[in-house]
Amino acid sequence: MSAPLESRQRILDRIQAATQPSAASAPSYAALPRSYIRKGALTAEARLTLLIERLREYDAEVVESSPEELPAAIAAQLTASGKRSFVAPAGLPADWMASGFDWKIDRGLTSAEIEQAEGVVTAAFCAVADSGTIVLHHSLTEGRRVLTLLPDWHLCILRASQVVETLPEYFDRCPQPPTLVTWISGPSATADIEMTRIKGVHGPRFLHVILVRDQASPAIKNN
Amino acid sequence: MRASLFITCYNDTLYPETGRAVVALLERLGVELDFHPRQTCCGQMHANTGFRGEAFSQAKRFVQLYQDAETVVIPSSSCVAMIRDQYRGLFEELGNEALRKQFAALLPRVFELSEFLLDKIGVEDVGAYFPHRVVYHASCHGVRALHLGDRPYRLMAKVRGLDLATLPNVERCCGFGGTFSVKNAEVSSAMLATKLQDVVSTGAEYCTALDNSCLMHLGGAMHRQYAGMKTIHLAQILASTEDSPAEAFA
Amino acid sequence: MSHPVETHAILDPTLAPPFPQAALNVLRNPQLRKNVSHAIDVIQGKRARLVAEKTDWQELRSAASAIRAHALEHLGFYLEQFEARCTAAGGHVHWAADADEARQIILDLLRKENASEVIKIKTMTSAEIQLNPFLEAQGIRAFETDLAEIILQLGDEEPSHIVVPALHINRSQVREIFARRMGLKNLSDDPQVLTAAARTYLRQKFLTIPTAISGANFLIAETGSVGVVESEGNGRMCLTLPRTMITLAGIEKVLPCFDNLEVMLQVLARSATGERMNPYTSLWTGVTPGDGPQNFHVVLLDNGRSPMLTRPVERQTLKCIRCAACMNACPVYRQTGGHAYGSVYPGPIGAILTPQLMHMQHAQSLPYASSLCGACYEVCPVKINIPEVLLELRSQVVNQERKQVLRFFDPMYLGLRIANLLFSRAWIFHAAQRLGRIGARLVTRKDGWIHSLPSVGGKWTQTRDLRGLPSQTFHEWWAARGKEAK
Repeated sequence: MSAPLESRQRILDRIQAATQPSAASAPSYAALPRSYIRKGALTAEARLTLLIERLREYDAEVVESSPEELPAAIAAQLTASGKRSFVAPAGLPADWMASGFDWKIDRGLTSAEIEQAEGVVTAAFCAVADSGTIVLHHSLTEGRRVLTLLPDWHLCILRASQVVETLPEYFDRCPQPPTLVTWISGPSATADIEMTRIKGVHGPRFLHVILVRDQASPAIKNN
Repeated sequence: MRASLFITCYNDTLYPETGRAVVALLERLGVELDFHPRQTCCGQMHANTGFRGEAFSQAKRFVQLYQDAETVVIPSSSCVAMIRDQYRGLFEELGNEALRKQFAALLPRVFELSEFLLDKIGVEDVGAYFPHRVVYHASCHGVRALHLGDRPYRLMAKVRGLDLATLPNVERCCGFGGTFSVKNAEVSSAMLATKLQDVVSTGAEYCTALDNSCLMHLGGAMHRQYAGMKTIHLAQILASTEDSPAEAFA
Repeated sequence: MSHPVETHAILDPTLAPPFPQAALNVLRNPQLRKNVSHAIDVIQGKRARLVAEKTDWQELRSAASAIRAHALEHLGFYLEQFEARCTAAGGHVHWAADADEARQIILDLLRKENASEVIKIKTMTSAEIQLNPFLEAQGIRAFETDLAEIILQLGDEEPSHIVVPALHINRSQVREIFARRMGLKNLSDDPQVLTAAARTYLRQKFLTIPTAISGANFLIAETGSVGVVESEGNGRMCLTLPRTMITLAGIEKVLPCFDNLEVMLQVLARSATGERMNPYTSLWTGVTPGDGPQNFHVVLLDNGRSPMLTRPVERQTLKCIRCAACMNACPVYRQTGGHAYGSVYPGPIGAILTPQLMHMQHAQSLPYASSLCGACYEVCPVKINIPEVLLELRSQVVNQERKQVLRFFDPMYLGLRIANLLFSRAWIFHAAQRLGRIGARLVTRKDGWIHSLPSVGGKWTQTRDLRGLPSQTFHEWWAARGKEAK
């Protein structure tokens, strides 16, 4: 077997010989066709309606709330779940952690400890209405990736201003490419047995969303 | 309107009645037809099996034969696809500049039959009468290479007495595929069985298409299985009138 | 009673029987054919609905095709950029010229970790290099965690599709495998129950095995990130919980920029599973302290890919994003399923990729395993003109084969060379037609049809009659008509 650097050079040499590229890739990249739909055409209200519809198609439960009612809405969701122990990302707002439940805040929890929790509550970075996708960038309010993976129940707090219609619009919202991303479109599923879609293989089987209407007036924000 | 008929090697040998129907149809529509006696084959069989050198020589012959034709009409979508999709590559690989130019000049003048009727002559109602239940098989080359779209349906819609059945999975390949039908005979036959199920389920008397190649394959199985259905090229339906029914060309 | 599953499929192109022969085994298996056609009908139906709804579908295809073509055109540049950015983010990048090197690199990494077990996310690339048997032989157990892959691993079976690898196996067959290998009595064949059994079986493995191997759907050059697209969450488990992650990726997987995903993700899910978006897509960049594996390696695999870059007609094969839309649309695959192709890459993409990865030394029957119907090209999200590549590869196979002396006598070769001679001159063609008419009378029955032919013709008459040659060719009729008119 060749030494590592030899293989690297050999492969690059073969590629070079085969493609004979010009020095700069930038010009031809700029010329790539981008005539697909970039910006959605729905009003803000229609966008939210679409997102809710898509989430519910995945059997995610969606409720709406005003910013003022949010802590109460969270408490109601937690109570309805019948669960007691929850994990929270390190930066989760304190008033989201309703009293009457066991909270473990992630300041370096082990997998075993997270595995003990029955549910998790997080914020999100963005949601894409077209595909019903929730995007996590794993910031302090969204939590490390393991937090939204091991517990069986995930409550995601989404602000209406975080909702875009199309996937390209999500990319427009990233000031720079994120280091860690998880795109979630419904609870885990498999169709490996006779193409019958079965939910809940690994990852949370139950996804709940509170959509916080943080926009002053739906009519004002049209895009 | 003048046109040169390229009958195709297999129609010439196996389905001359399709050629006779094309002649009757086009002459009825006022087309002055000529037929180049030295024509043989477009080269598709060889090209599709990987015999490029041989295909090139046939392609070259075709282009040279028809370089002065005003229009070439061909009752076979696979042959037209061969000319449109593969000739340029063959001539770039094996031909010279003169030949490439000749071909470029000829290409816009080559038409499949339904294209000729609708796009060149501009006629949808060819005055045909064919009082039978018919199912139309959409050959792959017609659908995906020539993008014939609704042309055959528009023509059939104007054929008096024709009862057009709806074919489930209409765009699924029948399994002929040229030499595939013998190189992979068993898979070809499995695809044929699946296709026949759909075709026979329509209860039609005739199965028609714009390619006798598919019809040879479908019809061959229908005959073997006593399936109670016959195949007929769409040209023969379009040529059929009260005075001269399709059988007259057989 | 469930039929026993097919067990001895050989997916090694150097050993597998030619496609026509391999197909025979399958064509006589009604259960398998039903399983396959049911599965692809479901995906096709879902895909069709979503494509119809996506009004910019063709624009997305054009963009996806252009992005992939551009990445391949400048592959060296983007691979080096990926390596630099990934390394800067704490990852280690290795280059494997072939399967042997890739296996050895992975083994060395596992040995460093004293790993005796690994958990794996489904990756066809690892099947391509036959990684699992190699690791087993070295005393390292590789546990597949994807439901389909578990079914295959426990059932001692081979994948037959690149997205839904166990689509040839139905629920009662799965029940039988799980009951036997997981020791579960009274297991029903309800897919819900079977899936729950898999979830339980794997949970402990995810939480305790510290080493994982994955593939990659995408490598992002701009950021040095890796993207994995999945449905079940086993991927997320493997790329989050262990300490060591090894990602094996073909060199062609690289995309220039992060936002290229706005196109690729839209076309991939719709093409692969008929969904607007698959449940989980994960993207990670090198090592993030405190989150996920702290020891991260990428193994870039060539294994026959770089030579394919040389000519545009073959290079387009590498645009593939492994969505399997082509095999779902393929009327040949519908009849045979994947095993008949004798490769981990079956169907239309397999028919062009496999022989090329083998430097055209094996799998030469695969380019002929197609009726050239074009359905694959129509659905390919990155616009690979598969029929065009099939024709090119057929020409290469013929050029190879015709050098072999014995091919001279092969009926197909003989026949085609004679046909070429016939077509070269009208008088030869016409003479042959007249001779053919006379000869055909010998085999034409009273009903005017030929029911049996020898040699290559016999392959036709196995299942089809052939109408006897008409007594007059078209050109003879035309000539006679012309004489009449005078």
